Amino acid sequence: MKSPVYITGASMIGPQPGFDRDGLERVVRYDAHPLKSIEPDLKRYIDPMRGRRMAKVARIGIGCGLNALERAGVQVPEAIIVGTGLGCMESTERFFGSMIQQDEMLPNPTAFIQSTHNNVAGQLALAVKCTGANFTYLHRGLSFTSALLDGLVQVGLEGARHVLVGGAEVITEDYFITQRHSGIWKQGSVTNLEVLNSADRGALCGEGAAFFVLDAQPRGERPVRLADADIAYRGGAEAMAARIEEFLQRNGLQSADIDLLMVGRGGDAELDQAYGPVEALFPDATVAAFKHLCGEFYVANAFGTWLTWSALATGALPAEAVLRGVPDRPFRTALLCDHFQLKDHSLVLLRS
Amino acid sequence: MSHDRVVITGMGIVSAIGHDARSNLRALLEERSGIAPITRLSTRFRGEIPAGEVQLTDDALGALAAPSSMRGWTRTALLGLAAIKEAIQQSGIEHRSPRVGLISATTAGGIDKSEPIYTRFFEEDPPDEVRQYIGTHDPGEHAERIARELGMSGMVTTISTACSSSANAMILGTRLIRAGLLDAAIVGGADALCRFTVNGFNSLMILDREPCRPFDRRRAGLNLGEAGAYLVIEREDLARARAARSLAVVSGFANTNEAFHATASSPDGEGALLAMTRAIQKAGLTAQDIDHVNVHGTGTLNNDSSEGKALMRLFSDAVPPFTSTKSFTGHTLGAAGAVEAIYSALALMEGAHFATLRFAEPLDEAPLTPVLRSSTGHRIRHVLSNSFGFGGNNTALVLSAP
Repeated sequence: MKSPVYITGASMIGPQPGFDRDGLERVVRYDAHPLKSIEPDLKRYIDPMRGRRMAKVARIGIGCGLNALERAGVQVPEAIIVGTGLGCMESTERFFGSMIQQDEMLPNPTAFIQSTHNNVAGQLALAVKCTGANFTYLHRGLSFTSALLDGLVQVGLEGARHVLVGGAEVITEDYFITQRHSGIWKQGSVTNLEVLNSADRGALCGEGAAFFVLDAQPRGERPVRLADADIAYRGGAEAMAARIEEFLQRNGLQSADIDLLMVGRGGDAELDQAYGPVEALFPDATVAAFKHLCGEFYVANAFGTWLTWSALATGALPAEAVLRGVPDRPFRTALLCDHFQLKDHSLVLLRS
Repeated sequence: MSHDRVVITGMGIVSAIGHDARSNLRALLEERSGIAPITRLSTRFRGEIPAGEVQLTDDALGALAAPSSMRGWTRTALLGLAAIKEAIQQSGIEHRSPRVGLISATTAGGIDKSEPIYTRFFEEDPPDEVRQYIGTHDPGEHAERIARELGMSGMVTTISTACSSSANAMILGTRLIRAGLLDAAIVGGADALCRFTVNGFNSLMILDREPCRPFDRRRAGLNLGEAGAYLVIEREDLARARAARSLAVVSGFANTNEAFHATASSPDGEGALLAMTRAIQKAGLTAQDIDHVNVHGTGTLNNDSSEGKALMRLFSDAVPPFTSTKSFTGHTLGAAGAVEAIYSALALMEGAHFATLRFAEPLDEAPLTPVLRSSTGHRIRHVLSNSFGFGGNNTALVLSAP
């Protein structure tokens, strides 16, 4: 990078309470899934009448994005970049349903307009009058990290200031049902705080949003730097460890420098095995996880990035997130390692 | 020659006017439109609403794209695979290198295959003819499938920003190459015609019941189309080192947001003007350097009026020859930006201005006449290509002769 990239504001709306804060308020236990977002009062960002007519993904995405800007003290960012695996699937299904039911007799245009997948990024631009670049990535488990990488390049290499980057996702009821054969999500229920010990396949289904403001100048007393990000498709479990070593090397780091490893374990007994060799690379690091807190969904790694940022920004991590190695000093260098279905691989490096 | 120069070394396209770049060029020069009443898509509007359908059944398209197995391939993914194979072949790039990315774009993804059988997705134990398409609904699926089929090992991602999607894929690829993250990228988009988009645009009442008439006073909306269109772009020095022919330079680009309205363009063309101005600046050029414009030109009342005013504000009384090739292909949505980037590159390579079909009378508010007849032999150094989308998303690209 030509210039450092700092996270100057962050916000999260998800199944765990932490909106407009630097960390989780507490950890909520769920005995059934899908895990749903705890929707905060967003009326200072979205007119309540309008909010009720919006799809949930738009509501939480816009609310979370505007909160991140406010927390960064930024009124108008230079660019807005959103990642979402399903986009506005709720509106797509609504339009789809009425189209099929009414045999193509003029379904409701509002649902069609809202189904356009760049709706959240477009609405955010409209809300803050941002005429800069406006991108939306819809690429499964790489949706958020594609957006993050884009933002990193814009600020770190292309000289942009104040770039808003985030992920937002809501898994619709239809999608959850129709995907039951895919094995992504568990069919039965298990308590989220115990899901990582499962012996069976699938993760808990979740949803949520997390947004970050990136800038070349630090802000606040414990600034956190987005040092690097990497996305890759396929490669399997063996390639993960090799990829991490290459990633550390290009950042001038050794594995001993990482004091927090955040992994994307979700409770799928088979898929989680891929993290074993990764965790073994970092014997001295604290290992933490996040998908038992937020569930598995295409942009769960946005929540994971937020939790990692929170650990660096506050020095604290909820005990429920820690899998191994209780921290004895504040974290300085954290690596998030996540895969979605062993196909979409993401790495995010944060430093304080 | 610098690391900053990104060049096009391969192009592939399947559209309503041809199944490869050469046949697309021939149709453009011979002024043969691909817009006709819908015959292939199963919809109540068959025979009533015209569209730019690719004249291949799914099986014939499968034979053209030739995936290793047809299981789970949507029409969108097949359009993409066929176009990408052509682009790779022309370029000669080693696409399996981890330094080569795939950046694809779509608006409807694989909906073309899920919409006829959607209710069956909910069956207790759906048969394979249904089950193979359950996971093909989301936009990213086609890109993963194509990357897997072609054995690609570099970065893969999908952009969906409505009608500017694949122009934005061009921008991202160019930026990542300039930033040194990639050596080359396959960029473009694919969208199959489907009932979802036909009904969506029909519900907005912006579908012309006749073949569309971009920039004409009596225009009555757009025609939808379908296409797959991809370009291989790479660092100029690396292209030269492997003796690949450079077809055009991606010299300027800009993506801006109008922040005006969820679907409409501002009446004075502010957003279009900003995108065009910044793209020309980025190329280190001035408006006078632009020799040809491939306009967004959908044929809707709103777009053409707004874009026409923006052209007049940018070029004053010297608007260069401009064309809406959507009068040939229809609006191919997520593929449109790449379709028109390919046509823009062909205009550069052939010294060609392509016609805008069915134009009769200019607009009052922007009295501009597009290119009326296709012709070659012109000196064209720099082409501007516009792609505007819902959500106020405006993109302009500048392609230059190598």
